[in-house]
Amino acid sequence: MSVDVCEAPHCQLVCENSSFLDEENSLVSLVQQLHFNYKVSLLIPDCSSAPSHLDSVINSFSSFVLIKNMPVSEFIDKDFLETAVYPGSVCALSYRTRIGEDNCVALMPNGRLRLSLDRHSYHLLGIEGKVSKFRSKGRHIVSVDLTDSSMAPGGRGYDRLLSGLTCRLPLTSDFLLSHQQGVQSCLKSLLSRYDWSELRPEVSTKVLHQLTCPSDLGSCDAYSVMDWLGAVDAGISSSIGSSSSFLSTYTCPGPQRMATTALSISVSGFLLPHHVQILIMEVRQFLEQSSSPWASLTVHGFTDNVVSCCENEHGRLRGGVNFYTLLMSKGHDYKLLIVTGSHDSCSP
Amino acid sequence: MKGVSTQKKSTGYQRVVLKNSAPVLENESTRLSAVEFKQFIITGLKILYGEVGAALTFDVLKYDEDSRTAFLRVPSRGLVKLWSSLTLLGSYQDQACAFRILQVSPFLLALTGNSRELQLD
Repeated sequence: MSVDVCEAPHCQLVCENSSFLDEENSLVSLVQQLHFNYKVSLLIPDCSSAPSHLDSVINSFSSFVLIKNMPVSEFIDKDFLETAVYPGSVCALSYRTRIGEDNCVALMPNGRLRLSLDRHSYHLLGIEGKVSKFRSKGRHIVSVDLTDSSMAPGGRGYDRLLSGLTCRLPLTSDFLLSHQQGVQSCLKSLLSRYDWSELRPEVSTKVLHQLTCPSDLGSCDAYSVMDWLGAVDAGISSSIGSSSSFLSTYTCPGPQRMATTALSISVSGFLLPHHVQILIMEVRQFLEQSSSPWASLTVHGFTDNVVSCCENEHGRLRGGVNFYTLLMSKGHDYKLLIVTGSHDSCSP
Repeated sequence: MKGVSTQKKSTGYQRVVLKNSAPVLENESTRLSAVEFKQFIITGLKILYGEVGAALTFDVLKYDEDSRTAFLRVPSRGLVKLWSSLTLLGSYQDQACAFRILQVSPFLLALTGNSRELQLD
């Protein structure tokens, strides 16, 4: 029996052409459903500096905190439930835990606590869950709605989860936490008990000169667009140009033109979808007033995220790819490219 | 929503990019230029797969001489050949060496947003 060893990592690409004016477009729901964003990259050709209103939006991504060695049971602490979980808007993700290898935890703004556990930890916890769809080493997914009445402090479900997380499986991890109303004011008592640091998303701005770009990005096929955007983001563009070079034959796709300048901005950290939404609106407004023909915005999710969009399961395998690129042109039309790895049940 | 199209991976279009395939050399002071780096990989392909392997098309999209890290781009049908020859390349100019593959993806764009690179402390 022969085995096909030519298998490359599988990914799914979804392309959507739509309009911001279309009430049924899926962009808003997609942006809001992806809670755990790691990096946002923006590319605007024929632009050398961001106007002040766009600049202020880019710098307004809220700060987040890194809490060290925090027990997961803190998420069901009565005080934390009342100040952060019930009002909503708090997001937490275990940091430096590798999905598929370690136990990973995520808390979503809707109050759902999601744990991705190995077989041994799952049995110790004693809370009903589901076998991972990707069946990686007996992994189980436990999902608990902390806003459910059975999970109210004192309730049967609550007591069972509390004893599981404090006695049978006292899981601890470093966590990234973010809150729309500001972490410090909402989570004061929690932070007072642990070693923590407040962090600002890192903003990097580059002005690219003499950038060879496709003259009509919208007409290029999706794979070429993403290769080209990746090349620009990785700083490869300067060496592009010759199809006969010994080192690389990669060239800019389609009919080309030279953009005198291009603005490349990236923000990385623990980014909330709310700010991504504001940034999209601001870029649209900017495009209407500027000479730039289009802008691209790419949002990368965390590789080791437990959940993908629609609260489906996310795994890694060899890539853990989960990102989307939004190509906006003047007017209201846009092209959305959503990429997910083979271990991702996102179905936008 | 209008004009929605769903497109699954097509082998014909797929590109596989290996990011930061860094050779770890016994003598850290050894320097390789981009051309030498690519020639070294071609040699490895030739040793393992002969002339057919040496003819495999792949690109060195970006190379950093100091850290000896590179972005390699290869059609998906050549991924296993390239990966295996990198794994088995054990010496460079009589020095022990090894390649470390850091990330593999069909999308170059995916390699610029790896959250595992996030260093907060």
